[in-house]
Amino acid sequence: MLGPGATFRDGQREAIEAVIRDGSRTLVVQRTGWGKSLVYWIATRVRRDAGHGPTLIVSPLLALMRNQIAMADRLGLRAVTINSGNREEWAGIEDDLARDRLDVLFVSAQRFANEDFMTRVLPSIRGSIGMFVVDEAHCISDWGHEFVPDYRRIGRLLPTLGPVVPVLGTTATANDRVVEDVSAQLGRDVAIIRGPLARDTLHLDAIPLRDQAERLAWLAEHLPGLPGAGIVYCLTVADTERVAGWLRARGIDARAYSADVDTLEREALEADLLASRIKALVATVALGMGFDKPDLGFVIHFQRPGSPIAYYQQVGRAGRAVDRAYGILLSGREDDDIAEYFLRTAFPPTARMQEILAALERVDSATVRGLQQHVNLPQGQIEKALKLLEVDGAVVHERGRYFRTPNPWAQDEDWVAGVLAARRRELAAMQDYVGTDECRMAFLARLLDDPSAGACGHCANDGGHVWSRDVDPELVREAVSFLRRDVRVIEPRRQWPGGSRIAVPNEQGRALCVYGDPGWGRDVARGKYEAGRFDDELVAAAADVIRVRWRPTPSPAWVTAIPSRARSTLVGDFASRLAALLGLPYAECLTSLVEAPPQKDMQNSAQQYANARRKLAIDASAVLPGPVLLVDDIVDSRWTMTVAGSLLREHGAGPVLPLALAVASMRDA
Amino acid sequence: MATPTALSDGARALILLCSSVVAARGEEARPFGPRMWAKLQTRLDEHGVGVAELLGMSASAIDARLGVGAVEADRIACLLARTGQLAFELDRLAARGIGAMTLADDAYPTRFLIRLGPDAPPVLFVAGDRAILGAGGVAIVGSRDVDPVSAAFAEAVAAAAAHDGKPVVSGGARGVDQLAMRAAFEAGGRVAGLLPEGIEGRLRDGATRTAVAEGLAVLASPYHPGAGFSAGAAMARNKLIYALSDVAVVVASAAGSGGTWTGAVEALEAGWVPVLVRRSNPMPDGNRQLIERGALPLDEPLLPDLSSLPAPTDRRRARQVAEEPSPYEQQSLKLVD
Repeated sequence: MLGPGATFRDGQREAIEAVIRDGSRTLVVQRTGWGKSLVYWIATRVRRDAGHGPTLIVSPLLALMRNQIAMADRLGLRAVTINSGNREEWAGIEDDLARDRLDVLFVSAQRFANEDFMTRVLPSIRGSIGMFVVDEAHCISDWGHEFVPDYRRIGRLLPTLGPVVPVLGTTATANDRVVEDVSAQLGRDVAIIRGPLARDTLHLDAIPLRDQAERLAWLAEHLPGLPGAGIVYCLTVADTERVAGWLRARGIDARAYSADVDTLEREALEADLLASRIKALVATVALGMGFDKPDLGFVIHFQRPGSPIAYYQQVGRAGRAVDRAYGILLSGREDDDIAEYFLRTAFPPTARMQEILAALERVDSATVRGLQQHVNLPQGQIEKALKLLEVDGAVVHERGRYFRTPNPWAQDEDWVAGVLAARRRELAAMQDYVGTDECRMAFLARLLDDPSAGACGHCANDGGHVWSRDVDPELVREAVSFLRRDVRVIEPRRQWPGGSRIAVPNEQGRALCVYGDPGWGRDVARGKYEAGRFDDELVAAAADVIRVRWRPTPSPAWVTAIPSRARSTLVGDFASRLAALLGLPYAECLTSLVEAPPQKDMQNSAQQYANARRKLAIDASAVLPGPVLLVDDIVDSRWTMTVAGSLLREHGAGPVLPLALAVASMRDA
Repeated sequence: MATPTALSDGARALILLCSSVVAARGEEARPFGPRMWAKLQTRLDEHGVGVAELLGMSASAIDARLGVGAVEADRIACLLARTGQLAFELDRLAARGIGAMTLADDAYPTRFLIRLGPDAPPVLFVAGDRAILGAGGVAIVGSRDVDPVSAAFAEAVAAAAAHDGKPVVSGGARGVDQLAMRAAFEAGGRVAGLLPEGIEGRLRDGATRTAVAEGLAVLASPYHPGAGFSAGAAMARNKLIYALSDVAVVVASAAGSGGTWTGAVEALEAGWVPVLVRRSNPMPDGNRQLIERGALPLDEPLLPDLSSLPAPTDRRRARQVAEEPSPYEQQSLKLVD
């Protein structure tokens, strides 16, 4: 980079000249790999040499930062990142900023909600903020495909930066509407530098398959034949683990990557992919924007993403510096369910948000845990609501506590409706993409309002390679059997909702499947809602799990069941058959006290716990001594299991081993 | 929420120059105090330069325009360089219901300009209904540790002010200040709280936050919104309490020292407003001595008719008449004009 004889790409010089002027506003819309970062590196050099302060870059994800920082080193600029993972370095960074020893500070938009960062790090910058860069600037638009509440704050700040600080926005994925919106937020006299977004080397295809097992089979068959190393994107963390596990079982070197993997491990995984030491990372979007591997050979989607712009951005990571790369979208029947779930939970209901504010107004401050007692929303939704309220200035978050501010708050319903309508249009466009028979690259480029959009001549719809839609039935059977063996672990809860420790928690438990999956999940659904009885095959599978794959210590001495609602014997019947097969006594000792609402209507820990407490009672005389296998059909919040386990222990049972037929599929983690 | 977008570049420049709101740790350029700002304002006027024009100017350009010398020009340039940090901090404060107000602001209390002259704080941080700052009212002051008789007196005066539709002007500290504030709220009255510390922490108190949200209270402070209590700051803000009010009531004061005493003596000297002092038997020594120094005795917790009170005089100016007027005084007169 920047060796002798280096020249600028189209628009780079123009962008640099625009952005180095005092008070300038510039928006660069160029495809990934065009070299947007070079613009802010060189502009930073120029501004620094002219005596201005360091450049502040807002960038969404850590993967980008690590990559970029290495690039800065090569250009002789001192760049650092501040994030929740390197808190121990903050003091040193503050010190360097106060001594003007840094050129570039990378942060995520979420940092601006952090009290320490705002009141310590940011003010420690000596002199001016020399330049302000908003990477992935489409995030400040409500019409962008990604909604990150913290970017509303960035958009609000832009007009107040004063007449000196230049602002640069960059994005690879913006249609006309987003460009218009972002440039309006940047201010007046915005220089817009926009180039073609289509990528010539990318070969696109979209393959509808029936279910997860078929898609696993497809991956196992075709992944080894794809060039180089690549990414398999999944929509959920659980799927990254399952898919990577399956591929490894088939001898393909694939690793799971998500926000659940710790930072150091993620860095190592990125390095493995960069060096093509592994075939694929099976990742959520946590492996995100700006992850820069020019020779990435393929990007496969295990499920359909919610928006063509997001899809283009992810698939566009492939083929930057190779002659041929593949972007293949697999889609199946659960895609619409997942999409609906994300839409349904995008915004917490206004009435619930007002309940949160009302609860905060009655006290000086509260924690999320405290709020759960007053508001029947899942913890994740309460946190999402608080984040929105915080960005709106209705709530302050400091060191784990939330305070109401004196600012009034009203939900902007038109805005919410507008954002949701935009999401639905994007979902529909994505459904169209799967079924379209026109050139796939042209289809995506048109949605991005790419002025140079034309037929690509090499996607599956346009004369290129068409991947097989057939899957090997033998592989599908093996995938089903893999899923059936892929037993889920149920971790015991260790704290009551109030925060006190559970004296004797349950043991680690097991579930046979994810509800509805092609392993045992469909059999569980059929048994519960159609047949009214769980198959003998499920009883045998459960016994097999206990004897072969789980082998709990201590092993159970007897079996009991969570009482079913409405006098049904569904679970008790299953548990007694399982007990017979295991040669253990079965005792019915737990009873359902009142006609309480179903546990699945309870939305958070406090409510679930309270409901489970109301519901469950125990017949002490029926409790047997020794370790007990506690059986339920579908486990979700684990509160029923936890309350039942604690009742059993209090009344003389030994260690409690939970066994569920399924874990709920869509949980708000 | 109130957006800081409404602030002009001039207001931003003033905040950068005259508050520590974004001053860095260990930064050598110290912000301008009220009197230093008054001097700089004079110089800007003499050279026909608006303060906003200084934004983005180099130190040498500033010196060339204003002739303030290289050191002072560098200080100005350093302070003004922090527009980016200011944008972030003002947004953070706005999200907490706190705004900034400068001398140039229409809502800035004219009483401060007229009565305090060059001591008027160039920048105030404010939460709540700013109109209360222009509504005068009754200052109620007294010690932090308070006996039951004084407490009852303070509460009765506050209630009387509330019934009269007059705001209670309070220093917001423990003791008499807070008793008077609470009594005013309970009687449905309004309060202007001029705090001895930054207002951010005070807004975490549920009752205060509710009063601010409902338009019953305004909190204002010249200090960084995140600043803690300091005795010096408390002393320096005493003049703001008197200067904002129509009349002041001293409920209980120690003699010869302490914040209440010092503030009351300063107010008697300056003659900003009539100073009334609770007279009872027994009463604190400070009360007796203030009455001896010319404060008006108040026997009952009632509000006297202001027109019946003798007009206070500026004793300092009376002493200075024969002497040469100070530059500060010239500035003060200028600001009043």
